[in-house]
Amino acid sequence: MLEPVSLALQLGFLAVLFLFLAWVAASALRDVSRTGAPTAASDPDATGFHAAVDSIALPTAGGDARLVVVSAPGHEKGWTYEIGPGATLGRGEVEIQLDDPLVSNRHARIVREGSTLVIEDLGSTNGTWLNDATLGGPSPLHAGDRIRLGDSEFRFEP
Amino acid sequence: MKARNRELFALIPASLLLAGGFAAVFIQSKSKISSLSLSYGAIFLGLCLAGHIVVRLTVPDADPYMFPLVAVLASIGLVMIYRINTDLALQQAQWFVIGLILFAATLVFLRDYRKLERYRYTIAAVSLGLLLLPRVPGIGQQVNGAYLGVRLPGGVVFQPTEFAKIGIVIFLASYLRDTRQVLVQGGHKILGLNIPRLKHLGPLLLIWGAAMFMLIFIRDLGSSLMFFGGFLAVLYVATGKVSYPFVGLLLFSLGAWFLGTHVGHVHDRVDAWLNPFDPVLYNRTGGSYQLAQSLFAQGDGGVLGKGLGEGMITTPSGGALVPAPQTDLIYAVIVDDLGLTGACGVIACYLLFVARGFKAATMARDSFSTLLAAGLTSVFALQVFVIVGGVTKVIPLTGVTLPFISYGGSSMVANFVLLALLLLVSDRARRPA
Repeated sequence: MLEPVSLALQLGFLAVLFLFLAWVAASALRDVSRTGAPTAASDPDATGFHAAVDSIALPTAGGDARLVVVSAPGHEKGWTYEIGPGATLGRGEVEIQLDDPLVSNRHARIVREGSTLVIEDLGSTNGTWLNDATLGGPSPLHAGDRIRLGDSEFRFEP
Repeated sequence: MKARNRELFALIPASLLLAGGFAAVFIQSKSKISSLSLSYGAIFLGLCLAGHIVVRLTVPDADPYMFPLVAVLASIGLVMIYRINTDLALQQAQWFVIGLILFAATLVFLRDYRKLERYRYTIAAVSLGLLLLPRVPGIGQQVNGAYLGVRLPGGVVFQPTEFAKIGIVIFLASYLRDTRQVLVQGGHKILGLNIPRLKHLGPLLLIWGAAMFMLIFIRDLGSSLMFFGGFLAVLYVATGKVSYPFVGLLLFSLGAWFLGTHVGHVHDRVDAWLNPFDPVLYNRTGGSYQLAQSLFAQGDGGVLGKGLGEGMITTPSGGALVPAPQTDLIYAVIVDDLGLTGACGVIACYLLFVARGFKAATMARDSFSTLLAAGLTSVFALQVFVIVGGVTKVIPLTGVTLPFISYGGSSMVANFVLLALLLLVSDRARRPA
């Protein structure tokens, strides 16, 4: 009498398992194929938590300003960092973390001022170079500018 | 759907699986439909919700799929163990709760997991100590020729390798973060491969030595493959050089071949693996009996399986047909009950988990996090490979646990800590700047 129930449960078990897996795989694929297109996802939702997946900016096809690694310890050449609304570079708890012994914990900062991005040194020990010149005060960044901190060098791409 | 809500939603299928699975086993063993399975499902959902709330509060930006995938694996594990032995399932449920508590504790107290780097030599020393513990006379315990367990007072068997694997990966990640520059620079080109200088091969040779040492003294091919493979994976991620894993695998194969032909215990295992159905080997103690029974059970399952609780793992008179069904051979029991389909589902769970782990590694913004996530994920993946490969006769069978499914407290708890570390890395990587 119970055999049909038993069979139904077994098939149901497998069905639920595979539906779950298909859902995870599909969500993961969507996650991967979503390129750039800054979303409004950084708005806190009703619970106050951020939508992690939606706001993760995979390297965009174009649009956002970024730093391209020319050479940096522990980085592959061509690796890019999105600057977004602004970013701090350094060895410590900052947005762009470098494994470079010659870089200070909070070394330099890029901030958005209107439509341009401006770089400034944060009083680092070894200084920051912009196109072979030591950075004095805040300077605006232009396409192709080379930024060097310690042994790490980046190219700026708007 | 927001990431955390997705995670919450995904816990529902996990609880459904548990309730449905228990219902099916009840019908099989007691021939009645019981609402008890629904209560079990509800309790499981409640426990997962508690875990989910801790995740929400501590790592709001972490990967939303890893925790539900683990919940699904754990629910399959609990159903299978219940189906094999009711008392063990109760203990396993307790270990699941303890695992969740340690998971929560890791998330709460290790928010800045990068401080682990400061204690790397302590962690390495403790891990090596743990690995040698089973060889200490009096407390060590030998199972089928391998020294894997430590008997604690109260009859609890503690498996130190499960915890040592996490410690060793933490050490390797922080050590290679600092030294990889040296490993990348210089070297000779031989046959298009960049062979590093001998002095830079030092650490590689050292760990290779340790893996061989384990093979001889712990007598366990599975664990040493797991550790050495994890090490090569971290080394490859750190340096980006194919020559390291290439040379490493070559050395490992040479060592394994030598030990396989010269050390009795390892040699027996290899023999049993090559000819599981040889009558002489089948009847010998420590022979191919386990493997042969495992293969019979899997063949019995077919495409859709015999049905939950209906696969034959004991003889009608009550004797065990599949040896060690709740630990080493649990995968064979799953295939017997749920067939090829169910087995593919379980493997897909592991694959998706591993994919999420590597995703966290690629997204991490500092190299310690990348190496840590890649290392933990690799060790986890290798552990699944070693036991599933062993049970399905791809590699010689050795006893490691199937993470989150096999019966065993150490495995459950250690893998929950591993999950917590991966979620911490993932949270930091995904946090909006």
